[in-house]
Amino acid sequence: MKLEFKVNGKTYELDVDPESRLLDVLREELGLTGAKEGCGEGECGACTVIMDGLAVNSCLVLAAQARGKEILTVEGLAENGELDRLQQAFIDNGAIQCGYCTPGMLMSAKALFLRNPHPSETEIRTALAGNLCRCTGYVNIINAVKDAAEGAV
Amino acid sequence: MAEDKGVKQLATPERQAAAAEQTLKYVGRNLPLHDAVAKATGKIQYTGDMNFPGMLQAKILFSPLAHARIKKIDASAALALPGVAAVFSHENTPQTLYNSQVWFAGQEARADERLFHDTVRFVGDRVAAVVATDKKIAAKALGLIKVEYEELPALFDPEEALTENAVEIHPGGSPFFEKEFGCGNPSETFKQAELIVEDRVETPKIHHAAMETHVCIAVPDHSGKITVYTPCQILYSVRLVVAEVLGLPYNKVRILKTPMGGSFGGKQEVTIEPLAAFFAQATGKPVKIEYNRQESIISTRTRTRTIGYVRTAVDQNGKILAREVKTIVDTGAYTSNGAIVSMAMGKKLFRLYRIENQVYRVQAVHTNTPVAGAARGYGSPQIHAITEINLDHVANRLGLDPVEFRLRNLVHPYDEDLSGGPSLGNARIIDCVEEGAKLFRWHERRTQAEAGRSTNGRFRRGVGMACATHSNGYFGAFQDFTTMTLRMLEDGSMILNSGIHELGCGTVTTMKQIIAEVLDINPDRIEAPEGDTETSPYDVGSQASRVTHICGAGALKAARKVKEIFRREASKILGCEPEDVVMRSEIVWSKHKPEEKMTYGEMVRLIQQKNRTEIIATETYQAADNPGSYGANFVEVEVDTLTGLVRVIDLLAVHDVGKAINPGFVKGQIYGGVQMGIGLALSEDLQIDPKSGKAKGDSFARYHLINAPDMPSVEVLLIEKGGDLGPFGAKSIGEIATCPTAPAVVNAVNHALGTNLTTLPLTPERILAALNE
Repeated sequence: MKLEFKVNGKTYELDVDPESRLLDVLREELGLTGAKEGCGEGECGACTVIMDGLAVNSCLVLAAQARGKEILTVEGLAENGELDRLQQAFIDNGAIQCGYCTPGMLMSAKALFLRNPHPSETEIRTALAGNLCRCTGYVNIINAVKDAAEGAV
Repeated sequence: MAEDKGVKQLATPERQAAAAEQTLKYVGRNLPLHDAVAKATGKIQYTGDMNFPGMLQAKILFSPLAHARIKKIDASAALALPGVAAVFSHENTPQTLYNSQVWFAGQEARADERLFHDTVRFVGDRVAAVVATDKKIAAKALGLIKVEYEELPALFDPEEALTENAVEIHPGGSPFFEKEFGCGNPSETFKQAELIVEDRVETPKIHHAAMETHVCIAVPDHSGKITVYTPCQILYSVRLVVAEVLGLPYNKVRILKTPMGGSFGGKQEVTIEPLAAFFAQATGKPVKIEYNRQESIISTRTRTRTIGYVRTAVDQNGKILAREVKTIVDTGAYTSNGAIVSMAMGKKLFRLYRIENQVYRVQAVHTNTPVAGAARGYGSPQIHAITEINLDHVANRLGLDPVEFRLRNLVHPYDEDLSGGPSLGNARIIDCVEEGAKLFRWHERRTQAEAGRSTNGRFRRGVGMACATHSNGYFGAFQDFTTMTLRMLEDGSMILNSGIHELGCGTVTTMKQIIAEVLDINPDRIEAPEGDTETSPYDVGSQASRVTHICGAGALKAARKVKEIFRREASKILGCEPEDVVMRSEIVWSKHKPEEKMTYGEMVRLIQQKNRTEIIATETYQAADNPGSYGANFVEVEVDTLTGLVRVIDLLAVHDVGKAINPGFVKGQIYGGVQMGIGLALSEDLQIDPKSGKAKGDSFARYHLINAPDMPSVEVLLIEKGGDLGPFGAKSIGEIATCPTAPAVVNAVNHALGTNLTTLPLTPERILAALNE
């Protein structure tokens, strides 16, 4: 199956298995391994990427559904070698421990900022409801997103 | 113990005060995790992200039955599928028996696990494996394997395992381990007691829920050596089990620690590594095994389900006179750490309260359920749930405030362990409770919650607390030491070679901060690679809450030795005495010639050229103490009496950590520990079906972790009074962080509802049932 889409600003034309998921294409075809598979059923959010401005679980998106779309992954967050303010805030706030949920958390937070640059704490918590983390208790993650929202970074 | 006396002399308040006077430059600071940027950019390569040329993928066929004999396996159709390299089962794999938790050679443990058995003992037991060119083919081939089973009677209830004629899962049946130990004369004391309060408390099997599922890669080479890439906690444990199962010398098995996507004890035991290693040996190709979530939940390890019967005797003044604790420890289908966790639980009973007459009895049993094993706290969350819920019950019966009741009984600094364990060291639990109660406004909030209840509305508030203790390594129980090699290079940068494991807690950065402090060097100029069994000196592993206390002390010792060598060699170059050599911010000079300064790197070059030696030290640190780490949680909850749902409003965690090397990391551990503890209290449970033995909670859709909206705000207060042998007085935090949480939450719920709920988790169903009683 032909798949033409944009990932991190670059256009790709690929021949992919029609059964494959967006997550498989990103990881296996494009070598973008930042998105992780934590559950394969859209519960943990480790595979979150942004598709046309919205956070999606890439394990639940068929590759075909990404046709003609613009995808942003964690690898595309930093621009010209400069970290996105969310990335910097995660580092500064100790929001990263094992780091496995981090790409998904960042992308959910980024998608939130795209539609709401100044979210309240409740809005932040709601935006991250589908991203599980076992290390941090979310405390420093929420602090980091708040910091980034307030432009403290 | 003779060794303990020596320890006590060293750990004087004077020594502690002297240490506090030093001005610290790197220790006590919030440096970021060493690999935070790589993690934030998605660049870090976890094991699942790694590939090797020609690598094959293995998929495992898991038993759908709880107990059955395998009559026949027909793999012919699977083998005929293009892309399938091999199919393995008990028919063509080593039948070596092993125990997954053994971490040192010569350790006694019941070995009852094989790569594949001819009898399956739980839903999720391994039946066979397909190794193929990719995962899809492997999965397809699994469906083509035909297995004929002869179903056997199965057993799921740990108390039923102790009845006569119970199903025998392993020869000899249950209990497979029994022990009793204690102090004083509890049975006589109980006879005279004014009040005895009894409870039965039950804790569930829970999933560690690291976001990274279990994964490893084994790579064979031309010499017969197998290299295993694994996100493990104990490299030398993996080497031991793999070498024994494959029949290889230890130096033909190389284990490399890969970036850890979370463990919490779940990757501490050796589960999939021997399988991958054997498949790689048999096929001559690199083999990856990557479990999906369901496989990680049911077929690796779980927290040990524990049933506790506790009786506490008190006098009218609220002094605990005696206590009797009996536990039934359900290790599941294979023994794993069943005996050791049984003992670890019991030992904690003698290290939190001054109880002169106490006995602990344990019976460990097998059931046809997923295998239990190491899990953050190693029995502490269970035993503290059992006793701390009971203590609130006692306080309630006495009409005493739970904080006041505990303060009358808690241990004091430098108390002895009455069961004969190592001294408690500078045990600061009283500080934790006193300061925590003040900061939390305990009395005020407790009274407010009680006052609000008279309105009898739908939502009821409750305020609760609990205490806990945990260890700092293995001293007093098992051998505990670490060896490290520290070098300074010709540009002044440094390398620490050791068997450390970064689990995401900040171990690497912590070691750097300690070394940086001693040598006054920028921590970024130190490399501290994780362990590799071929090149790293021995270490006991990232277990038993030992890393900061023991490995940190090892790094401190190695750094001090390097400093001594550097000053000795530099003194020859500078023409002064070693004690005259000043080292500051990577610049070195003789105090007699402050105008002649050079960098550490320039000095190392001169030492190489003129003294013909290098700046290197290999030091072994032998653990010589095992003080208690202590913690108390204070929590307020709101219970919806209509739905039975509990909302944790906020929580204060107070921890006696001796000294926080990196307070940000310490707090990070506490926040995560609290999240795990709330889950244990309210929502997490594998929910083994009592008829089929299937885990209902085998996916994140049916296994509920606390998520961001449910997580309360958490405040942390650290008590840092040093006094023990850890680096700069540091004690452990990783495991103790989760220990007080679940009982604190349960106590708050019981306070809110006037109930005595004791079966965890407190699901809405259980809460509503209690309210309807």
